Amino acid sequence: MEFKYKILKGIDISGLNFLSPVVRLATGEEPAKQLREIGRFIVVPIIAFLAFLWLWSVVAPKHKTKAGEVPTPAVVWDATGGIWRFHEYETQKDQAYQLTGGTRLDTLGKAKARMAELDALEARAKEQLAAAEASSKEKFDARVAPSKKAYDDAREASKDARRTRTEALKAEAAQLAGATPEQRETFLNHLRDADAAAEAEKKSLDGLKAAYADAQTVTFPETKDARRTVTVLAEERQFLVKYLDMLGDNSREAKVADAKAKAEEARSAFLNAGPDEDLYKLGSTVLKRQELLATTAASQYAKPWTLPKQIVRSLLCVFSGFLLASFIAIPIGILCGLSPTFMAATTPFVALFKPVSPLVWLPIIMIIVGGFMPDPENHWLIVLLGKVPFLGNYKIDPMFLSSAITVALCSLWATLVNTALGVGSVDKDHMNVARVLRLGFWSRLFKIVIPTALPLIFAGLRISLGVGWMVLVAAEILSTSEGIGKFVNDMYTNGSSQSFAQMFVVVFIVGFIGMALDRIMVVFQRLVSFETAGSTL
Amino acid sequence: MRFRLIIPALVGLGSQLAHAEKLAVEKDELKFGFIKLTDCAPIVIAKEKGFFEDEGLQVEVIAQSNWKVLLDNVITGNLDGAHMLSGQPIAATIGIGTEAHIVTPYTLDLNGNAITVSNSIWEQMQENDPDLDSDTPEHPISADALKPITEDMLAEGKKLQMGMVFPVSTHNYELRYWLAAAGIHPGYYSKTDVAGRTDAEVELSVTPPPQMPATLEAGTISGYCVGEPWNQQAVAKGIGVPVVTNYEIWKNNPEKVFGVTKKWADENPNTIVAVTKALIRAGKWLDETVDGKLVNREEACRILSQPNYVGADFEVIKNSMTGTFAFQKSDIQDMPDFNVFFKHDCSYPWYSDGVWFLTQMRRWGQITETKPASWYAETAKKIYLPDVYMKAAESLISEGHLAEDELPKTTDGYKPATKDFIDGNEFDGKKPIEYLNSFKIGIKDDPSMATK
Repeated sequence: MEFKYKILKGIDISGLNFLSPVVRLATGEEPAKQLREIGRFIVVPIIAFLAFLWLWSVVAPKHKTKAGEVPTPAVVWDATGGIWRFHEYETQKDQAYQLTGGTRLDTLGKAKARMAELDALEARAKEQLAAAEASSKEKFDARVAPSKKAYDDAREASKDARRTRTEALKAEAAQLAGATPEQRETFLNHLRDADAAAEAEKKSLDGLKAAYADAQTVTFPETKDARRTVTVLAEERQFLVKYLDMLGDNSREAKVADAKAKAEEARSAFLNAGPDEDLYKLGSTVLKRQELLATTAASQYAKPWTLPKQIVRSLLCVFSGFLLASFIAIPIGILCGLSPTFMAATTPFVALFKPVSPLVWLPIIMIIVGGFMPDPENHWLIVLLGKVPFLGNYKIDPMFLSSAITVALCSLWATLVNTALGVGSVDKDHMNVARVLRLGFWSRLFKIVIPTALPLIFAGLRISLGVGWMVLVAAEILSTSEGIGKFVNDMYTNGSSQSFAQMFVVVFIVGFIGMALDRIMVVFQRLVSFETAGSTL
Repeated sequence: MRFRLIIPALVGLGSQLAHAEKLAVEKDELKFGFIKLTDCAPIVIAKEKGFFEDEGLQVEVIAQSNWKVLLDNVITGNLDGAHMLSGQPIAATIGIGTEAHIVTPYTLDLNGNAITVSNSIWEQMQENDPDLDSDTPEHPISADALKPITEDMLAEGKKLQMGMVFPVSTHNYELRYWLAAAGIHPGYYSKTDVAGRTDAEVELSVTPPPQMPATLEAGTISGYCVGEPWNQQAVAKGIGVPVVTNYEIWKNNPEKVFGVTKKWADENPNTIVAVTKALIRAGKWLDETVDGKLVNREEACRILSQPNYVGADFEVIKNSMTGTFAFQKSDIQDMPDFNVFFKHDCSYPWYSDGVWFLTQMRRWGQITETKPASWYAETAKKIYLPDVYMKAAESLISEGHLAEDELPKTTDGYKPATKDFIDGNEFDGKKPIEYLNSFKIGIKDDPSMATK
């Protein structure tokens, strides 16, 4: 029983209230009521989400854009697979480069076996594609032929008609020499009629042309699927070629062995050199080769950024910005809350800078940060951050700092305003008691002011983190700082048949992470709140 | 087990060819930037085919969102080097836009751009010139059929809007060249008019390459000049018609270069040679032919279609990189030289290429003052580094990766005078002032400058 209440309390604090009926049902508390609750808070949302998926998969294909059809859930799922595959490939290459000894040779053997399988698979896929293309070409021709014929015929007819009309008019004009002004006016009318007729023909031609163009937009799923299979296999071959190379002749082990042999050779040449040889030259060769050996041994595969790593970097960036924002906003907020004069002094800044978009801040920040770091790779801050464990793996550069600062600048306002509000609303009685007890400034601050204001401060922080997460993606797109934003921008610029679906994948990832961040902040907020107010969504 | 067998062989080779010593690179982990265009291929291929690794370099290749960001990242040191527009190192060095001394040891490619117009402009051009109203019109198509359209629009108080990718891009100069060759004024730049619209009959604006098709479709612009795959994309999506390629505007014109800052080049003298070596091998690999057929292009397209590189569909990239160019779905032409990466002494950093860009910058007023002919030669020498290229090439020859006869035969770094332009005008890199004064439309300089 004790245990059950602990779980329920935990659920309440984490804001996952929809789980509590499940716990209560498991312990047999009012089953009928719990089932009703489960129906309302778990089954209904699931049904709603399924309905959304269904509606999406039905509506999406109806809207054709020039960038391809709007992807259905299935296509988006497929794109997720593609993104993951790319990540896997790159990770495997990275690992392959570092493998040594038996493991390397084993992996090499396996990869070679897979390569051998691939030949047959690829041949079959290509055959299928050829067959699909042939059959769809027939269908395409059959579908397009009538509208093409209609358009071509109409175009010819219109050309003929125009020629006949022009000839007739020219003939008429030739006889106008001795005509009266009235007759000439009539001729002008004829000319006008001819123009109108040409206009009308052009209009109907345009209609036919549109129909012809529309018929051409038809796509055949079987060809698409066959091409997709060919592409996936070709990508795998591409990967395997490089993978084999990195496991074989170009593995670090092989390169180090080569460099070592060369260094040894140079050393022995130097040690055993006769008196008439250039010892200075031989000696520097030894040093050069030893240096080369050292760099080879320490070399790493230059792995491109993949989405999972970009997500982590984005999270790091948003938290850096968020921490920075908190360090600025909370003290200033407290001062604002304590002193109405200080508040009056800050208000114009808050009012002025709060509405500024991240897209305005970012270029400014980039220029300022860039100004501090003329040689970023050797700047002390970058070197320092590069040495921090974990963080160091994510290549902290000026772009990262600029994005983080932009996040901070855009998100600090919510915390600042909420903190000021929280501090300002401290009960007068509490302050009077503090005065009676003759508490100093600092004890008053930490014993009374901050604890009272804490729930509101956390409410502010929660909003700040949400804003920061939204701002970050925009900042990354603009600064080309590696992260989710850069991924979206890259996919957009790729403009391939997969891009559209890949951007949808990002929508869900960004949404999911945003939701998780919010939940975390809710937990903190609840932990510091005295009252157990109802859940806020 | 293979590597164990190879090592003794390598060691043996190493002692025979003492001068084939691996370069002691100053920096072995490099970051190169690129824009998602197929002409970044040499950089990507040098990485994927292991040519960088052969030089002991681990290179990260990072996509940049636009040319300005790319250049800034090179200048600030976030990137070691990058795929650049030929005009970028020149403009940066002489101070058009962001000022910084950028140098280039390697020209990445020739040609590769095209001018695309929207479907409605194409229809009007067909009305103006019935010869164009065919499934396979005759090429090259000049802007003559466009002139009446611009005139009609001017009469209505409107100006035709076209897009190009950057003020100092080859695309800007090519589009201007094509328009001006038909007597359409694309407008001058001046100290106060940095948009280059003074006297313009057609207004040009900057749009990042990947956004060209969308901007054309939205009707903001009626045409654009851009590299691949964005012209083929317009054909594939049916939103526009490429009318002319830059190969037809100027046969074998220099397009992109590999640029680094002067400071970086000075600090890393061996690394820059090592990078150039890898790039030369990549260029050669890309242009390898067997019986006149480009044999490696299909693999290159596969590599480029990876999402971290160009990322467009393989089929779309293949259209322009395997020797054909689709003007319309019905009009696919053989164009074996549409993308040149090594042939025709492409990759050598020619001074005359630099002079051509300088003349265009002067022609359209980006260079605001009159300059003597000697200035053109000196400026080109500040930016192009043929010495680095030759050092790299010689090292490759000694390693057996390059043949002696694959080197350009030049003594002074100038290409011979050529008339391979759409208007038949002659360009001689040694006579910039005469060249400037030979254009009907464009700023002209005092002929006496030719001898100063």
